[in-house]
Amino acid sequence: MQLKRVVISGVGSVSPLGLDVASLLAAIENRQSAVKRMLGWERYRGLRSLVAAPAELANEKEIPRQSRRSMGRMSIFSVQASKQALADSGISESLISSGRMGCIIGSTMGGAESISEAFEIMLPERDLSQLTSMKFFQCLSHTAAMNVAQYLGIKGCVLATSAACASALQAIGAGYDLIRLGKQDAILCGGAEELHPIVTGSFDIIFATSSSYNDNPSKTPRPFDVSRDGLVCGEGAGIVFLEERELALKRGAKIYAEIIGYNTCGSGVHISQSSASAMRQCISEALKSANIKPTDVDYINAHATATIQGDQEEAQAIRNIFGDDVPVSSLKGYFGHTLGASGAIELIVSLAMMQKGQIYPTFNLEKVGDDCRGIFHVQEKLNRDISILVKNCFAFGGINAALVCRKE
Amino acid sequence: MAQKEIIKMTNEVFEEAFEIESQKLTPEANIFNDLGLDSLDVVDLVVALQKKFGVQIRNDERVRNIRTLGDIYGFIDALGEENKLSLPREN
Repeated sequence: MQLKRVVISGVGSVSPLGLDVASLLAAIENRQSAVKRMLGWERYRGLRSLVAAPAELANEKEIPRQSRRSMGRMSIFSVQASKQALADSGISESLISSGRMGCIIGSTMGGAESISEAFEIMLPERDLSQLTSMKFFQCLSHTAAMNVAQYLGIKGCVLATSAACASALQAIGAGYDLIRLGKQDAILCGGAEELHPIVTGSFDIIFATSSSYNDNPSKTPRPFDVSRDGLVCGEGAGIVFLEERELALKRGAKIYAEIIGYNTCGSGVHISQSSASAMRQCISEALKSANIKPTDVDYINAHATATIQGDQEEAQAIRNIFGDDVPVSSLKGYFGHTLGASGAIELIVSLAMMQKGQIYPTFNLEKVGDDCRGIFHVQEKLNRDISILVKNCFAFGGINAALVCRKE
Repeated sequence: MAQKEIIKMTNEVFEEAFEIESQKLTPEANIFNDLGLDSLDVVDLVVALQKKFGVQIRNDERVRNIRTLGDIYGFIDALGEENKLSLPREN
């Protein structure tokens, strides 16, 4: 069976650095940080990390109440990013409800704010009578995918990948496979996440968050840096429009890149500790599936969240495969770790780098940690033709994902 | 509770929870056909009315017969006659 080829022909995002892709890119160009000290987080006892990268909730009333009632923040972000991606793709309305177009949006969990509110309403008196029907739809693990599909009238495959920080990349990988197999012609793919103290708290209790920069938020997170002290949670949604290549070419679509390889695998080692060997295997398998050699890769967009152990393991995996030949940068210094959305938002920025022939440096990387040396860290903006890029995502649960894209 | 107060507070629920313009809120307005609510909204309407009037009506059979805004005003009034309303809670 001849597999179809798959391209990315539309992008959209709501991120801590703006309501669309243009504002996100402009802020990165200006070396802005979206990390802030969060007002009111002090009242959570035991929470050490008081910094985060919130996204702005705006223009939500453009979504009619009847559709919006089942949406928490992350679903609203997802709808807004999906609308951008569809508009960017320029596809005809008729495809959306044809059954040949799908929607795959991942997240770590359902809307954190709604989950927290539901427990706050229910638990003090063990009383369910004050719970609205809509809380359930906002708490579901597939809330973003479901809401986007319902709002847009998508009748094809609707899926929600849930693999924490690898959710978005798994969504894109799943969409890639479905289109390759001819089961769908196009799919809105990506991820979403919602910021909440319970989300930061879940990382904080295992000492994975940044807590030394509460009074100097723009200095954290610090991927690969000697002074890194953990991740900073963000929120938002990133959506890419995947399309069967022949259909995109036929309609003269603007093509950002072709997806030529993908792999996802488990580490089978530890639920929270990253494994360089599993990461290496994941990236190597992705390169193999793309039928390319490490020397063919022009840029690696690292997962690098600025945790001590995660960055060290990723640097080791990259070093083992690529040595110090291929430029590497992480975007989390600019807008934190958008968790389930990160794979898509960071891929979108990487595609912009590919278009511009320019690599954005790792923000806050001032002195490379000894344990992260031996790879080609980009610390200043670098002009470089990018024909092939690799996007990494590594998640709790030992979940690894890597995607390979080639400029069209 | 005065009828005028019941109407004002009920209409506030429709404006706040369901974003319906005040001019549409007439006693004869059908909550489904005219105001656009559906069965899931009715669940949330009950929760909102409970909060607004400090009352438990989730299992009250009379809720099933509500069709118009006027029906709600009458229902709340009847609850008042039955001394089931607590002091209204401000949001």
